[in-house]
Formats: sequence, C-alpha cells, structure tokens
Amino acid sequence: MKPKIYILLLILYLSLNLAAQEKYKISSNYKDVPFTDFVSGVESILPVKFFYMDEWVKDLKIGDYPDCTSLSCVMDNLLRETTLYYYIDRSGNVVITNNYAVKITATTVEKNNKFLPPTDYSSSAENQRTAGNTSVEIGNPAEKNKPGNVIISGYITNKDTKEPVPGVTLFIQNLAAGTISNEYGFYTLTLPRGVHILQFSFMGMREKMVNLNLYGTGELNVDMNSVMIPLKETVVSAQKSVTLQRFEVGAEKINITSFKLLPTSMGESDIIKSVLLIPGVQSVGEGSAGFNVRGGSADQNLILLYGTPIYNSSHFFGFFSAVNSDIIKDVTLYKGGIPSRYGGRISSVLDIVSREGNRKEFAGNAGISPITTHISVEGPIIKDTLTYILTARTTYSNWIFGLIRDPALHKSRASFYDLNGKVTYDLNKNNKIDFSAYTSHDAFRFNSDTVYSYNNNIFAVKWRHFFNSRFFSSLSVNNSSYNYDITSQYLPSEAFVLSHKINSSGLKTDFNWFLGRNEINFGLDLTRYSISPGSYLPLSNSSLVIPRTIEKERAWESALYIDDKLLLTDFLSVNIGMRMSSFFSLGPQSVMIYNPEQSKSKSTVIDTLNFKSGEITSKYAGPEFRVSLNFRISDKNSIKINYNRTRQYLHLLSNSTSISPTDTWKLSDYYLKPQIGDQVALGFYEMLFKNNFEVSAEIYYKEIRNMVDFKGGTNLIMDENIEKDIVNVRGKAYGLELVLKKTEGKIRYSIGYTYSRTFVKSLSAFSDEIINSGKWFPANFDKPNDLVVTFNYLFSRRLSFSSNYTWSTGRPITYPIATYRVGDKLMVTYSDRNEYRIPDYSRLDLSLRVSGNLKSHKIAHPYWTFSVYNVLGRQNVYSIYFKKEGDMVKGYKLSVFGRAIPSVTFSFDF
Amino acid sequence: MVTKCKCMVKLFKLLNKVLLFAFLILISSCIEQFIPLVGEDKDIIVVEGLITDQPGQNIIKLSLSLPLGGKDAAKPLIGCIVTISDDIGNNYSLHETVSGTYIADPAFQGVVGRSYTLRIATNESHQNLSYQSSPVLMKPVPPIDSIYYDKIVLSRMSDGWPSGEGCQIYLNTHDPENICRFYRWEYVETWKFQIPYSVPNNQCWASSNSDKINIKSTSTFSSDRIEKHPINYITNTTDRLKIRYSILVNQYSLNENEYIYWEKLQNIVEQVGSLYDITPASIPSNILCIEKPNENVLGYFSVSAVKSKRIFINDNFNGIANPYSSCEDFIVTGSKPIPNLGVSVWVLISHSVPPPPYRVVTYSKGCYDCTVRGTKIEPEFWIDAR
Repeated sequence: MKPKIYILLLILYLSLNLAAQEKYKISSNYKDVPFTDFVSGVESILPVKFFYMDEWVKDLKIGDYPDCTSLSCVMDNLLRETTLYYYIDRSGNVVITNNYAVKITATTVEKNNKFLPPTDYSSSAENQRTAGNTSVEIGNPAEKNKPGNVIISGYITNKDTKEPVPGVTLFIQNLAAGTISNEYGFYTLTLPRGVHILQFSFMGMREKMVNLNLYGTGELNVDMNSVMIPLKETVVSAQKSVTLQRFEVGAEKINITSFKLLPTSMGESDIIKSVLLIPGVQSVGEGSAGFNVRGGSADQNLILLYGTPIYNSSHFFGFFSAVNSDIIKDVTLYKGGIPSRYGGRISSVLDIVSREGNRKEFAGNAGISPITTHISVEGPIIKDTLTYILTARTTYSNWIFGLIRDPALHKSRASFYDLNGKVTYDLNKNNKIDFSAYTSHDAFRFNSDTVYSYNNNIFAVKWRHFFNSRFFSSLSVNNSSYNYDITSQYLPSEAFVLSHKINSSGLKTDFNWFLGRNEINFGLDLTRYSISPGSYLPLSNSSLVIPRTIEKERAWESALYIDDKLLLTDFLSVNIGMRMSSFFSLGPQSVMIYNPEQSKSKSTVIDTLNFKSGEITSKYAGPEFRVSLNFRISDKNSIKINYNRTRQYLHLLSNSTSISPTDTWKLSDYYLKPQIGDQVALGFYEMLFKNNFEVSAEIYYKEIRNMVDFKGGTNLIMDENIEKDIVNVRGKAYGLELVLKKTEGKIRYSIGYTYSRTFVKSLSAFSDEIINSGKWFPANFDKPNDLVVTFNYLFSRRLSFSSNYTWSTGRPITYPIATYRVGDKLMVTYSDRNEYRIPDYSRLDLSLRVSGNLKSHKIAHPYWTFSVYNVLGRQNVYSIYFKKEGDMVKGYKLSVFGRAIPSVTFSFDF
Repeated sequence: MVTKCKCMVKLFKLLNKVLLFAFLILISSCIEQFIPLVGEDKDIIVVEGLITDQPGQNIIKLSLSLPLGGKDAAKPLIGCIVTISDDIGNNYSLHETVSGTYIADPAFQGVVGRSYTLRIATNESHQNLSYQSSPVLMKPVPPIDSIYYDKIVLSRMSDGWPSGEGCQIYLNTHDPENICRFYRWEYVETWKFQIPYSVPNNQCWASSNSDKINIKSTSTFSSDRIEKHPINYITNTTDRLKIRYSILVNQYSLNENEYIYWEKLQNIVEQVGSLYDITPASIPSNILCIEKPNENVLGYFSVSAVKSKRIFINDNFNGIANPYSSCEDFIVTGSKPIPNLGVSVWVLISHSVPPPPYRVVTYSKGCYDCTVRGTKIEPEFWIDAR
C-alpha cells in the first residue's frame, strides 16, 4: 500500500490541439489565400468571428497544411513563426493578439490564495510562447495552507518518439529555481507550495509552460514536442539558465542540431571541430587528430561513445571525426568539474550520447558531398518497445587518386568507413536494455606496396533498471579495441607487417538516488586492459625480418565513486564526490633494472626482474576528490567554485607535436607512474536582457604530475624498454575564459576569448633527460590568446546562414640556431625547446543552408549546405621546419589548407 | 638482445611523409619558404672525428658552429692539444697541419677490437677547456659485395608522361659472421664533363662528397645481409651522367651508440616536413666538456673499420640537362675588335666564313673554362671507357 498522500498523476499531452477547439472542422484547402479572404471564407461556413488588427495580418498567407482538418490546426501552423497568438473562446470568438498570448486555464485558481499571488499573465508574455498553458494541480488542495516545501518529480519524454529527453531545463522564473532532467529524462525539484509557472525548455523542442498549483508532493510527467524542422535551433551550447543550474564549472553541451549547421571543411559535420569552438579547447593545427583542453595533452581527453572509450577518434589522419554525426544526440564536454562517475583521463571528458531509434515510425536521412556519403535509418521493430537505428558513412576519395597521373599516386588509395548501430528494448516499465555497436576502418595504400590501416571496434550492452520513481540503476558491459597494421612489400627481403593493438573491457554500474534535497550517485567501474605494444613480423618467406613481438601488457583499473548533489538552501548548492581509483598491472613481464646513478639506457641495465603470469608488477591507487559549489546570487547570476583531482593510467606515446598515426598506447607500469591532475576553477555567470544574453567568466589553475616527454630525437616505434627514452615532466596551466552569447532571436552569436598559458618542466637530474636546463618552458599547445566568434542568421525557416571566426596566437616551436659541418654534411643545432612561435592563426568559415519545401508530410525533406572553409584563404602555418639544401639551411612554412575550401552537401530526411 | 628496427622505421617515415604529402596536395596544402629571425649567435664547439683501420685517414677537425643562414667560412679552433689513447695504454698525439685540422701520424692505424678515447685541450681562446670522449670500440666491417644502379624513369607531375631518366645507385653487402650489424656509408662521386665549344679547357673532372647521413641496421634481420640499399640518386638535372661517372663508396662499421646518434640526428635534421615531425632537440654527443658537463658539444668521435669499392657508370640516360644551354650571351658581328674583350667576356665560337666574320661570346667564365667547376687533372683512379 502506498502512503496516504494524494498523488495526482497527470500525464500531459500538451499539444495546441486542445479537444475543445476541435469542433471547428475545415474541409477546403486555403493554400496561398490571403488571411483576410480566409477569414471571410471561414466566417461564412463556421459559427466563428475573428478579431484582429489589419496591420498585423496584412502580409499573412495561408500555407499548405494537408493534414489540417481543424481551424486550430490551420491557425497553429499559420502563426508558428510570427509574434501573433490566437485564442478561441467558447462562443466562437477567435481573438488574435500580438506579442502576448491569452491563457486558457483548465481549472480555476482560487481567488483567496494566500501564499503566492496568481501570476499576472498580461505582463509576462515572455513566459507564454504557446497559446494554452496547461494548469496542473498536484497534491491535495486541502494541504494548501501548510507551510514548507514539497517535491515534484517526473519524466520528460519526446512526444513523437517516446524517447526520454535528458538535459531539459526546468525553470521557475519567480523563484529563480530550477533543475535539469537526468539521462533518463527524470527530474526532481523542491518547491514551496503555491502557484508557479514551470518552464520546460530544451534545444530542438518546443518550449513548454505549465501553470502549477502545488499543494503537496507528487509527480508530473511531461511530453515535449520536437520542432519539426531542425533548422530552428542553431546555437552551439548552453540553453539559457542551464548555465546557472549546472554544478560544473566548464561543462559545455553541444546539441546535434546546432553543430550540424556549422561550416564544414569537407562537407561533413564534425563533432571535434565544433568542440574546438569552445573556449579553453585548442588544437595544434588543422588536420591534427585530437584536441587540447585547458593545457592538457591530447591523450588526456576521455572520449566516450556509448559510455565506452574510443581510442582513435579520427579518420583520415584527423581530417574527419571518427563518429558519424547521424548517431549523435548530444555531446557534453567537461573541461573542469568532471563528475565523479567519470575517470581515467585527467583533462576532460567528451561524452557522446547516441540517439535511440524512432519509436513510432520508420525514418532516415542521407547525405552526399564530393568525397563522403552517409545514410541513417531508424524505426520501431515493435512499436514503442523495440527500436533500432543504423548509420553508415564512407568515402569515395579514391577517384581523386585515380585522376592523378603520377604513377606512384595513381596507384595510391585512401578510404574509410564507419558503422553505428543501436537497438533499444523496453522490457517493461522498469527495465530497459540497449545494445550498441560501432566499427570504423581506415586504409591507406601507397604505391600498391605499402598499406597502412587501422580499426576501432566498440560493443556495449546497457541495462537500466528503475527501482522506483527516485532510485535508478544502470549496468553496462562494454568492449573497445583499436589496432593498426602497416604492411610493406617495398623490398621483398625486408617485407614486414607491424601491428599495435589495445583492447579494453569494462563493467560499469551507476546508481542514482533522489532523496529530497539530495541527489546521490554511486557506482563501480572496472576495466581490464590488454595491449600488444607492437609486433614486427616477416610478410613472406623471402623476407629476412626476424619476427619480434614486444611483451603484452595487461592491467586492471577499478574505481568506486560516490557523490552527492545537495541543495543546502535555495541559493547554495554543493556537489561533493570522491572517486577511489586503483590500478594493477599484471605479469608475465620482464622489467629491466637500471643503475640508479645513471640515466636509463641499454648500457646501464644491471638486472632483470621476471614477473610470472598473473603476478602484480606494479600497483597504484589514490582518491580523487571532486567538489563543486554553486552560489546563486540572484535569479540572473551565479558563482561556481570547483576543485577536482583526476588520475590517468593509460598514456599515448607520442613525440610529435600532434597525434600521429603510429602513436601507441601504453599502460602505467613499473616505471611509468600514473599522471595526476589537480584543477581549481572559479566561474561567474550572468543572464542579461530578459535572459537573451549570457555572459560568463571562468578562471582555472591546473597542475599535472608525471607527464611523459621523450629524450631528443627518439623514435618510439617497436621500443621494448620505453622507460629509457622517457623524461618525467611536470605541467602547469592557468587561464581566463570569457564568453558573451546571444541565444535568442533570428540573429544569434557568441564571442569567446581565452587567455591561457601551459608550461612544462623536466625533473630528472641526468643530462640527457633535462630539457631547457630544467626550467619551465611552454608546452607544444601553449597558445595564449584565442578568440572564437560565431554568428548565425536565420533568414527564414528555409534559409539560414552560419559563420565562425577563429584567431589565436601561434603555437611554440623550436628553431635551429646554428649550423655546423660533419664532412660535407651540413647539420643544424636547435634552440631551447619551444623558444619561438609560429605566426598567429586566423580563419573564417561560412555556410549557408537551404531547405526544400517544408511540408511536414512530404516523403523526403531535401536540403543543401554550401560551405566555405577558410574564406580568407589565409595560409595558416601548421609548422615551420628547416631543411638543408646544398650549402644553406632553409626554413619552410607548411600550411595544411592553403586556400579557401568550398564544399556542397546534399542531404535529405525521409 | 635485438634493438629497434631502424630500417623499418625509416621506411615507414618515408611512407608517412610521401603519403601525407600526396594527401596534402589534394587538399591544397602549401609549403612556402621562410627565413626565421633568430637573434642568438652562440659559439658551440664542433668535433668532427674519425679513426679508421686504414693509415692516413685519421683526422680530427675542430671548429665552432656558424650562425644560421650565413655563408661564413668555417671558424677553425686552433692551437688545441689533441690526443688519442687506446685501451692498452698507448697514446698518440695529433698534429695541427691546417688550421683546426689535427692529423695522426701517417703510420697510425686503428686496430679492430681496440677501444679508443679522444682528449682535447683547448687554449685560452676557448677558455682552456678540456674535452673527453667515452671509449669507443672498433668493430670489424665486411667488404662491399657489389654496387650497381637502376635507371629510374621520371615522369612529369602534371600529366605523368616520361620526361627523362635518373640513376639510383644501390649497394649489397653481408657479414657472414653476423657481427657488424650497424653500418654507415659515405661516398665520393667524380664525373667527367665537357664544354660543348672548342675552347682550350673544355674537358674536366668534378667531384663531390655525400651530403646526407646514410646508415642502416640489420639488427632485426636473421642474417647480417643488406640488399639494394640506396646509396645515391642522380637526377637528370645535372650533367653527372652525360659522359662518364664514378663513385667510391666507403662502408664503415658502427657501434650501436653511434648508430643511435646518427639516427637521432637524421630524425631531427633530415626527416622533417611532415605533419608528424619528431620534436627537435639537441642530440647528446659522446664527447663531454670536463669543466662544464652541461655544455653542448656538437659532433661525434667515430671509430670505424672501413672498406671501399668503386664503380664507373657509362650509360645513356634520357633527358640529361645541358648546363651550357644558356651560355651564348650575344653575337658580335663585323671585323672590328670586340669592345671590352678581355676580363669578362670570352669567345665561344668564331666564324670567319661566310663573311662577315662573327663571334659568339659569353660573360660567364664557366662557359669557357671547365676548371671553374672542376679540374683538368685526370684523377689517378680514372679509367676511360674502352
């Protein structure tokens, strides 16, 4: 038996077509008829009378609404993008208002309400986008005079697809209180009893208002309508007021509909490229895989797809992201304030949340551009219960090689594809299971004798169980692997195949418990790694190559975490969390012991330790504290403070400036200690001008211990004892990030400026391990000034324009300072590491998107995207290198995109 | 224990670079020359030393580094005391013959199996510093089995049509005892060339030394055998192959440490320009300054056994450039004396019949006198084709 509390369960289908209005049927089609003619037509056949000002409607024409059979449906469609609202009263008067809506109350609010006065609707047009806010009563009206707060909670689902909608902002303007729905679409909110207007907003969804008469604790489940044409939303990141609500300093959410409109470099929407527009995120240059968050190296970012780490996040050496944007629902980047449920990388978490298949009907999308094509299909297998989504993408860039007459290039090939699939099954109301899979493949063949290829494979199963309406759990099992192979038959006597592979299997459980003013999360993370660092094998019998395989690495990483989001007062909330992580690397393994008095090298080996199978070769463990404080000064601004520690046991060995295709993954071991990062951040956020503008300022300071650098000129491929080439370095970074955003209206823009510095210092005492005499020096990705401006203009629902501009200081570089001769060979010697800088970087991109007819029930919705990357044609320097030519050492600037790159993509939804 | 496979690494780097270069062309990348403004002007000591198992080839050169981009003459380090000692207590002092060049006694030759140490004491012009190398073992080297070449058909980038032929020279060697494993090669190429006019000095020999680091390791191969190892590539943009060409290849044995030194140097000096260049850094030498252990020393004290082999190439290569194609600057007609003839104008061709007499002249001495580029003295080893 349930406790004796009145729970009024209301499932709201808040559409505009309220039942009362359906009595006015319209049979004829008024397509392209001026509004005034439509009015006289309708007034002649229906018992209605229209009231409006002529000037409001003089340009208004009825469109083609093939499925509209009622007056309200026509009116809804007609007024959708105008400032006009309408209201049909019981006696058939159709009142049109400009700039504010007339409200319909389903229940009457008692006049002698003593706690909060009913809202004055006429003055708050801002809050009432839709005609017909619905009123809801929760609790027993008899308790209305009781003092104190009550809790409401519920699920938010997409009305069309029945998918839960995570990340919806719930906000009560008068109280400046609010929350965000969690990954299951669940929310919980503690409010004083009384009359409130609860606003639900989410990008790509029609904003929704509910008039709440709150008497007691209860549930409110809400369906939200998605906006039919995704064109409507174009702004990257935070919905208004979300920023004030989130605990994390430095969490950025990117919605798929917004980043799909960003200008593209090669006709493909690219998630990593839109991440680079976020202040605090930088890359060492165009076409480089990976990104740097707040002074962290590229391997310090945890990139999650289906909650599973992906080890190579790019295709084509970094020119495309590895994940097809068709499968992405949204993406959150945590550059600070990393929640305790994430761990294993120290700088950031990029959580790519995948879509679920449409629960109602079959749908799809396809697109084609000069070098890539992609397609996605989705739909129910069992309506509302079992759904699927499949996406595929491939390139046909080989035709370009075919066009080149140069014999070597003519025979060269480069290709990639990726496939994503997800099946979601609702066993019952409380149990959901989904299966997800991802595979990607890249291959390059040079002159038909040397082939380089790599693959990513991910598989994940997730079971979500709802114990009750405030206690959830999820259990997932996943596997992710990445491998590359290089085969060469250039010389038969040296034909070889070189391979590297990393495989990880994970088990993850998460529990969310909503307990009054607390939201408690806890769980367990367990990962097993196995890495084949490298094997080098002969490819044929005539090859003289000695087969050689570097010993496998195996390890377990485990973590227990717990955190509590606690609403201390209405204006102060804290999030305290701890993650206890540990790492065990296992034998069999042989470990070289070096003379501690000397720099590690082959000649200073004094002993070898042999560990047996299953024996622990090294173990590391430590707590990671994550604390955030959110102080809301008023309903317009807030301050957040945050500290977090992160530990990383997996490292990418790279001694080039950007991630290179031959970089290998390496686990912490006897010598290689885990990297530890500590970050403190402080943020200030303010909404201006009716919440249309958002400004924020964040500062951070970060320290990283046990970072990995390498002795000069070392090659890392097939290096068996990597510890002898490693230099232990320490890093520190600090920065200021300023953002101004306009997030409403036809013109939207954002301006972000970052000042940040990142330094590195070598710690060893041995001469060949000291970089720059042991002083702090700028890291490879230290780019102090960084400006990003985005601008969007929605001309109409069929035409939108989008642009972004980036300017940043050039990255540091090491220059040669002197030359000398060895025989007739001219040699150069270099300056201190990163003593100089390449020129500043500047780039402007534009894109224009044109949609075909917007009829909602046409078979396919086509749209064209025209994009120009680097419109200014600036030759941004990627690197400067020096080469001797004859008697001189000459410097060269290498630019990846030396001119403007136009592209066209044709896509259609079906 | 076997070491890393350098050959494969090199091959891969080559692939990587060419592939990227190709890809970059497709997406309109661009490479532009750039002159850096570096204010520093440091004098770093440069030691260029090679001790071999042959007499008369044991020279240590000492100099100071040169500023970048300048064409200054080398700055020799004079007045130093240079000695070499071996592991059985012999000391040999070297004598400065030319400024900065210190030569061992002509009778001195290294012995395979011995270790050698280099010591240098500079005078007050270089702060009276002393330098010492680590002991270096001389390893045996097998003879070169063969040197041979392939004609490489060159094609134009624009349409792929053949535009000429280049010459790729290869080497084969093997060590039946599998000891050497680490190799380095140097070459001296010499070619005969001719000015296509009947001028007095119209046939000469020119020569040039290898200008790239060329090393290879067979440590990951089951047998110490090297086949078709590229030694030199001759493009058809020079006239080296026009008449007759000869190349002398020296094959040196290396210790693993020296091999690693050259490889790192090669990584940062020669294998640059891809998207994934190794971060440049200074490469530690095997020579240290005793008084200032942190001081940067450039160069290496090499101790190697050496074997040499020479071949001649006398073949027809298509499309070889004619460096004298732009020699004929102007024509003087008439019988009057040529104005200003003498210091800077030379007569290439004179015709007296049919009248009026005229002369083809040039301003460039190289078009008139082959000794500008080479020497008229036939090298001792030279054998003309039958």
